[in-house]
Amino acid sequence: MNLINHLINGIHVGSIYALVALGYNMVYGIVKLINFAHGDIIMAGAYVAFFALDAGLPTVVAVAASVVFCVLLGVVIEKVAYRPLRKSAKISLLITAIGISLLLENVAQKLFSATPRLFPKIISGGFYLGDRQISMTTIVTIVVSAVLMALLTVFVKTTNAGKAMRAVSEDTEAAQLMGINVDNTISMTFAIGSGLAAIAAVLYCCSYPQVYPTMGALFGIKAFIAAVLGGIGSIPGAVVGGLTIGIAEALTKGYLSSTWADAIVFSLLIVTLLLKPSGILGRKVVEKV
Amino acid sequence: MLNVTDINVYYGSIHALHDMTFHVNDGEIVSLIGANGAGKSTTLKTISGLLRSRTGDIEFDGHSISRTEPDVIVRQGLTHVPEGRRIFLSMTVEENLDMGAFTVREGKKQALDDVYDRFPRLAERRSQIAGTLSGGEQQMLAMGRALMIRPKMMMLDEPSMGLAPILVSQIMDIIVELNKAGTTILLVEQNARLALKISHRSYVIESGRIVLSDTAENLLNNDQVKKAYLGG
Repeated sequence: MNLINHLINGIHVGSIYALVALGYNMVYGIVKLINFAHGDIIMAGAYVAFFALDAGLPTVVAVAASVVFCVLLGVVIEKVAYRPLRKSAKISLLITAIGISLLLENVAQKLFSATPRLFPKIISGGFYLGDRQISMTTIVTIVVSAVLMALLTVFVKTTNAGKAMRAVSEDTEAAQLMGINVDNTISMTFAIGSGLAAIAAVLYCCSYPQVYPTMGALFGIKAFIAAVLGGIGSIPGAVVGGLTIGIAEALTKGYLSSTWADAIVFSLLIVTLLLKPSGILGRKVVEKV
Repeated sequence: MLNVTDINVYYGSIHALHDMTFHVNDGEIVSLIGANGAGKSTTLKTISGLLRSRTGDIEFDGHSISRTEPDVIVRQGLTHVPEGRRIFLSMTVEENLDMGAFTVREGKKQALDDVYDRFPRLAERRSQIAGTLSGGEQQMLAMGRALMIRPKMMMLDEPSMGLAPILVSQIMDIIVELNKAGTTILLVEQNARLALKISHRSYVIESGRIVLSDTAENLLNNDQVKKAYLGG
């Protein structure tokens, strides 16, 4: 192994973190909620994909089923659990999110048991770049993530729905006065975040082929760290944070030891927050009155 | 154009508006004047749907809007320039105006040109980040943004707040011009003299109640009003 390989691995894992971090950041940007149940959406998406593939459905159908299920799950959670609390204290919302996370993990445990399922291999092969071997999984992960992030950026910048998202995240009341329907905009944000999480779930399972009820917990936390590191609420921040965490992790595993990887990731967060509390790309708007 | 009948608004257990009834006729400038905390902004927020009244009714342009969502009310041609301007500070001037036209499907370009004609300063600064504008420019942007839907009626909450006198009179002139061009205006002002000078009629609000209503001219000469709001 050498530096280039470690970097490629880092970008591979980092892209998945970034996809999940986008969900955290979009939701935070719009309802100022750290959606702790977001990691468990990944788990739900992984189970749906697993059972669909297990039933012999084609990969594309399995991925689509996973996306549809996660989108519905995300939207329903927002409607049932978060919306009634929107005007309550933020801490109630946060505790509810933790509650939903525990609920999802325990329902999964009840339904599917704690025994890990082996996710089937859906991407195989690889090719040589010079004498360096790159797996097809890596290529697919990086390309799919990059395309999704590009699409999301275009969506947010140019479409009316994307503009509504930006307006609501900057000033909800003013957005309403522009004729923007806030409920729909929030639902859409959860839908997009959860859909991205479903795809992240499948990509994750291609590299770490185990599906179990608490798989989203640590992964979700790390993606959350990526979100905070990049700048909570910022879409490019999620991408930068995700890649930073992924690369830091890969380099630690390559040059130090796997056991240090999580410790390094968490330390990176602490150091960044000490130096720049708003995260790498987090910014404070200059306000002149 | 606007009929507000017997509305009662609460913030939790605080009774903010008591049995408020007033109306604005087509083509008028009507102002609500009163001290800080009297309930003027609450009234506007209730009309635009951000707050709900427990009782009574609000009718705009022949339709009841007291249970209508804020975004639907905007689509009916009633626009609200909130207190403190509330422009999108991280967006450019033009992006702000574009947000104002969120519900507009046709004639967006024309509406934008009209706003730039009325506020040449905004045209000069179209690609500048709104957070870096001066207070007066921010107020112009807030008004321009509200004009993008070509509203039938415009509600303005403290447009003079924090502005230098020269800018205040400019903003007031613009309000009169807009009214002459056919927009009905409901104006909320702490600066009563200013509001009465340009209004046709006015309502005086104290602790969430309308205590006086008359033509602006009569109110300017009313001893009670002079003493309480016009500095003797």
